[in-house]
Amino acid sequence: MKSDKIIEDILFEIEKHEGGMSRRNAMKLLAASPIAASVLASAATATEAHASSSNATGKIVIVGGGLAGVATAAKLTQRLANPDITLIEPNPKSVSYQPGQTLIAAGVWQKSDIEYETANFIPKGVKWIKDSVVSFDPTNNKVKTADGTEISYDYLVVAMGLILNFGAIKGLEGEITSSGANDVVRKKVGKDGVYSVYFADGAVDTKKGIEELIAKAKAHKGSEKLQAIFTDPDTAIKCGGAPKKIMYITHDLLTKAGVRDKVELTFCPSGDKMFGVPEYNTAIFEQFKVRDFKWEFKTNLVAIDTEKKVATFEKKWLEKGEYDEDLKEYTMISMSKNVEKKYDFIHITPPQKAPDFVGKSPIGSSKGWVPVVKETLQHVTYKNVFALGDVAAVPMGKTGGSARKQYNVVAENLIAVMEKQEKLPAAYDGYTVCPLITSIGTVALLEFNWTAKPAPSFPLDPTQERWIWWLLKVYALKPMTIYGMLSGRA
Amino acid sequence: MKKISLALSLVVALVVLSGCGDKPKSDIMKYKYTPAQVYAETCLHCHGPKGEGVAEKKAPALTKQSVQELEMSLFDIKNGGLGQSTATEHDVMEHNMKKLAEKGYDYDIKMMANYLHNTFYVK
Repeated sequence: MKSDKIIEDILFEIEKHEGGMSRRNAMKLLAASPIAASVLASAATATEAHASSSNATGKIVIVGGGLAGVATAAKLTQRLANPDITLIEPNPKSVSYQPGQTLIAAGVWQKSDIEYETANFIPKGVKWIKDSVVSFDPTNNKVKTADGTEISYDYLVVAMGLILNFGAIKGLEGEITSSGANDVVRKKVGKDGVYSVYFADGAVDTKKGIEELIAKAKAHKGSEKLQAIFTDPDTAIKCGGAPKKIMYITHDLLTKAGVRDKVELTFCPSGDKMFGVPEYNTAIFEQFKVRDFKWEFKTNLVAIDTEKKVATFEKKWLEKGEYDEDLKEYTMISMSKNVEKKYDFIHITPPQKAPDFVGKSPIGSSKGWVPVVKETLQHVTYKNVFALGDVAAVPMGKTGGSARKQYNVVAENLIAVMEKQEKLPAAYDGYTVCPLITSIGTVALLEFNWTAKPAPSFPLDPTQERWIWWLLKVYALKPMTIYGMLSGRA
Repeated sequence: MKKISLALSLVVALVVLSGCGDKPKSDIMKYKYTPAQVYAETCLHCHGPKGEGVAEKKAPALTKQSVQELEMSLFDIKNGGLGQSTATEHDVMEHNMKKLAEKGYDYDIKMMANYLHNTFYVK
């Protein structure tokens, strides 16, 4: 039973990290909170309906073996009586647990805590090709891998993830993934005050970077504060909360070291709000004010001089133009200028894009992301193609939490297509969860969907920072993902 | 054992998180005008009677985009970006849309995307 494995893992982790006191507190909290009751009530009705297996046949090729691809493979293996599934993924550690990267920077986890071998999670019977796809030919139902092999399919699932495009920032180089080779990027990132938790080695470096910042702050004299800047680019990004989480973590570590007053922390995002959900937006503004964080909106990092420690941002604003009779409003003119900022520490959230191999292929789009009907996740042009995870063109949802919802939708709808059903039965509603780490020990569990309204799973005010969600983040979500989601069960 | 109960509670919490707990569907928004009315009374001034776009108003043509592209753009415009703090790609239109919504010219994104595509799309 997989659930045994999950419980075992949670117990092991709690034993390893939490003192007896914390456990007692956790118990008290659980007993006192309405969660326990509500959770048990939901559990009673949550007996999983065992879907009967389908006799549909056909060759399924899944491109990409991250969480989304492997979970889809597992679900299809369960649901099909005679599965014929090929998974194409070059990275032997593709299922590593990316949500743990912020915890590595926080010093709570080691890199080894998030590394997982893909080989251990490929479902039985699935053929694994350890190569990457370099071209798509959806008209003839074929893909080609780097070594030149052509692979045909009846049905295709694209789950290639995304590329961290550090090279799009002038002064930096490299396009990488979170757990692949990253030497080029690390020439400039991960040292001298420039950090990024967006890749695993970068997260390890970020922890050292925060320690260096603390040491520098301790030695700092004079009234001018040290400057720590946190960026958020103008492309879609995975884990929209991470640019802020690392800021909260830095704040917490500086505070604990007694040097918070020596450092100014400034959030510089490309956009002009903290969150698309008004309730969460307000809550985060409050959290920022309490912590004396600064922010500058519509301030997008475009270049960095790592020698001089100066970052250049494109600052945008609207200026009032002429009165428009048709619109019955003043027209607005989009303005921009570059501004330079000195930094002692900068956390970079890199611009992100779909891998060019897919983005510029016939199944890509002008922006690269694979265009799908956002509810069914079926490709808009090729009906035997589905996409999910970071590579899919859906609003907001580039998180593990989204993928956890999407893989079930893809599996059900793909089987419907294989069975020649007219209607696709499953629909994704844009659900995303952002466990926003607000300190080492508290998390606000921000759940939402495309209605841009809070969608809490629990009858608790989701805008509050809670220790119970910290426990969930640190002890439960990983075993749940690794042993639940990757086996297609949760 | 107490710690088992803690672990169990967390596991059960995850069952809920993973979606077995059905949440009520969100309320269906009511809009004052149909997409066609909104278009005819507002969008048309800048995007043209055939969705061809008007250069002097810096309004792009709407004739080339798939439903999915239109939906993404409308989401970006109404939500002010597609992420938490990510910039919108339509900063002027985001401003205009806020003004239009204040005047009652709001719409369902999917319905408007379908209307635009069905009415103006040119192969």
